[in-house]
Amino acid sequence: MELERIDNIPTDTIDGYRVRPGKPLPFGVSSVPGGLNFSVYTSAGTSCTLVLYSRTEESPLAEIRVPDYYRIGDVYSIVVYDLDYEDLEYGFKIDGPHEPEQGHRFDRTNVLMDPYARVISGRDEWGIEPNWDRSYQYRSRVAFDDFDWEGDSPLEIDDADLVIYELHVRSFTRNENSGVKFKGTYAGIVEKIPYLKALGINAVELMPVFEFDEFENSRMHPDTGEKLYNYWGYSTVAFFAPKAGFAASGKFGMQVDEFKQLVKELHKEGIEVILDVVFNHTAEGNERGPSISFKGLDNKIYYMLTPEGYYFNFSGTGNTLNCNNPVVRNLVLDCLRYWCAEYHIDGFRFDLASILGRDPWGAPLSNPPLLESLAFDPILSSCKLIAEAWDAGGLYQVGTFPAYGRWSEWNGKYRDTARRYLKGDDDQLGEMAQRVQGSPDLYQWNGRSPATSINFITCHDGFTLADLVSFNGKHNEANGENNCDGGDDNLSWNCGAEGWTEDQGIKSLRMKQSMNALTILLTSRGTPMLLMGDEFGRSQHGNNNAYCIDSPVSWVDWSLLESNHLLYDFTKNLVGFRHQHKCLRINRFDDPGSKHFPSCSFHGTNPWQVNWSSESKQLGWLMSCDDDSTSLMDAVYVASNMAHYATWFELPSLPTEYVWKLCFNTGDIQSPFQQSPAPYLESGILVGDRSVLIFTASPRET
Amino acid sequence: MDVALDSFKNWQVIKVAGQVDSKTVSDLRDFIDSELKQGHPVALELTEVPFMSSAGLRTLLTLQRKTTDMGVDLALIGVAPEIADTMKVTGFYQFFTIFESLQNLPGAE
Repeated sequence: MELERIDNIPTDTIDGYRVRPGKPLPFGVSSVPGGLNFSVYTSAGTSCTLVLYSRTEESPLAEIRVPDYYRIGDVYSIVVYDLDYEDLEYGFKIDGPHEPEQGHRFDRTNVLMDPYARVISGRDEWGIEPNWDRSYQYRSRVAFDDFDWEGDSPLEIDDADLVIYELHVRSFTRNENSGVKFKGTYAGIVEKIPYLKALGINAVELMPVFEFDEFENSRMHPDTGEKLYNYWGYSTVAFFAPKAGFAASGKFGMQVDEFKQLVKELHKEGIEVILDVVFNHTAEGNERGPSISFKGLDNKIYYMLTPEGYYFNFSGTGNTLNCNNPVVRNLVLDCLRYWCAEYHIDGFRFDLASILGRDPWGAPLSNPPLLESLAFDPILSSCKLIAEAWDAGGLYQVGTFPAYGRWSEWNGKYRDTARRYLKGDDDQLGEMAQRVQGSPDLYQWNGRSPATSINFITCHDGFTLADLVSFNGKHNEANGENNCDGGDDNLSWNCGAEGWTEDQGIKSLRMKQSMNALTILLTSRGTPMLLMGDEFGRSQHGNNNAYCIDSPVSWVDWSLLESNHLLYDFTKNLVGFRHQHKCLRINRFDDPGSKHFPSCSFHGTNPWQVNWSSESKQLGWLMSCDDDSTSLMDAVYVASNMAHYATWFELPSLPTEYVWKLCFNTGDIQSPFQQSPAPYLESGILVGDRSVLIFTASPRET
Repeated sequence: MDVALDSFKNWQVIKVAGQVDSKTVSDLRDFIDSELKQGHPVALELTEVPFMSSAGLRTLLTLQRKTTDMGVDLALIGVAPEIADTMKVTGFYQFFTIFESLQNLPGAE
């Protein structure tokens, strides 16, 4: 029997529309038979008007003043009947005090975006100059959310088995030489799935995809006249809406379906989707910024304010979202639940996550309610939660981020140590040994596991791998800030010439250093993360902060895949090697190891003896475990020599039933990896200058 | 938008002309509900359709479910390249069999 509701009838007519009191939950828009339920929260607002538009019209279709008795608590809700879902755009006008010094910034003439809007129009196609005369720039729309997933669900790959690939949606395929039809879009990534699959990664981490405005603070370069954008998008306009300008179908408003199709297709090939999410601040800026949504809905609730009503700026971008206010906390939770449940997202990486652990006045909390809520949420329970464990207000929490047994961290110390070790700095061996085994100094004492550590050497912030070995200093002139933006602590080394060179010796040293970096990264415990294009030497010409550049400088140059094919093959083999060797992915600090070796041991030029002295540049690590199904031992021995001279390494002795096989040798730049290596029968090996070797123990053939 | 029923060999053909969007889509849906007959495969002739909105594409999927329930084949005819692109990137395309013209239908030489 079909249940027919007896309350589904309009009770009033306002401005020509049939309406009735709505339901306060869920917030935003939900569909009810014959109509749409709108619900919005404002604690200090005194009245609410729902403004309806047709997609093609500048001026509103109707302004429906929500009757006061439709309000329950601080929530206005209304059902409006007979709407054209597809053509409809809407917003709210909220009346209330304009007393900035008290924290209130209401303006009853300004139309506000629904903070729960799932589709936004106004920036439908990337880079099309918006109509700035429009008073309501980011219009809320209604999502269908009826995608046919055909049985898909989040993949739940073990953290320890992940190899993450960080990419920017537009940069990845925008270049003319990307070979895809739908360049610079979600659909373009789908076309590249065979490539990602072949490379062997099993998670992509997408730089921000929540609706942002590439025109926020856009400007002309003072010298070149080139247009500079808010290209990376670390400035959220709408937390529930995918960026339309990244969708080939954005001009038809179908970005929701296109993004879901991307997730579905990646999942089919065993690749997880992690979103880089920015909850620390919004696109509304400080007191001089626009009032898009939160400022006009409840400024004092959503932002951290000084006693004088100015904006605290722990994010370095103007404002700070007040994440530990219970209302804002629920918004964040609702948002992540929505992306997890409705988009099947596998994990989230939180930009400047330390901000999420500050109280409403900015002080770090020992038990931050938001981080705890996320860690114990029933819907997010299998989602990866990854913190960028620092903020722009000076909080640095790598190793101390409140984890609740759930959170992992971008390990900035891994990056820094690996970079120093790679360029042959003194005093690095001890710390490198910690990083290689999953940073127990950071994570063992508090009961966390090696996969807590997201290991990386490069990410979107800073040099690409090719630039890390080609530049001593940043070259950010293209950003139009006189090379003052971007970090100065790059820990990079140009191998003998700054930037482009014809010197074959330097070029081959750079190639070797790139391979060394990848080898160390992929033989370390923890979860490795690669930056898009590093596998074939993508360069940004020394720009270490290309946040505003929408040009071939920031786009992946796919012609490098051919010219640097050896590096690509090397990386691919290395990723495959990691997947094959469980001993590299052990996710316990107290693992007993194998019958013959400890779980992780360190070696020098002589086995079991490391020269830990300041100037020492030679470190070997041997990882081992038993394969329960075959009762064979898995053992990998990595010998690294970061000195500028070749050094003899004696190999650790194996039990007689095993022999070493040399699988990778970056010192042999012509053929740095072997598909089917022969047994290596010498007792030791000369490891070339600045070279890394990987051996694996193989059962002796009788 | 205009809708008309035609036939071609053993196929029942729904000929659509004009834009299919939220303003017109209910006419198409009503037509399908009232005119489709059991037992014959269905061809939706879209050669004269320059644009299909999200609501239009969703109606195609509804029709696909309906023909599956009826146990008959469904074919789309003459889908404009732009519409096909949108269907591909949003995942709709994979649910359909698409032919350039009625003459290309299987068993219709």
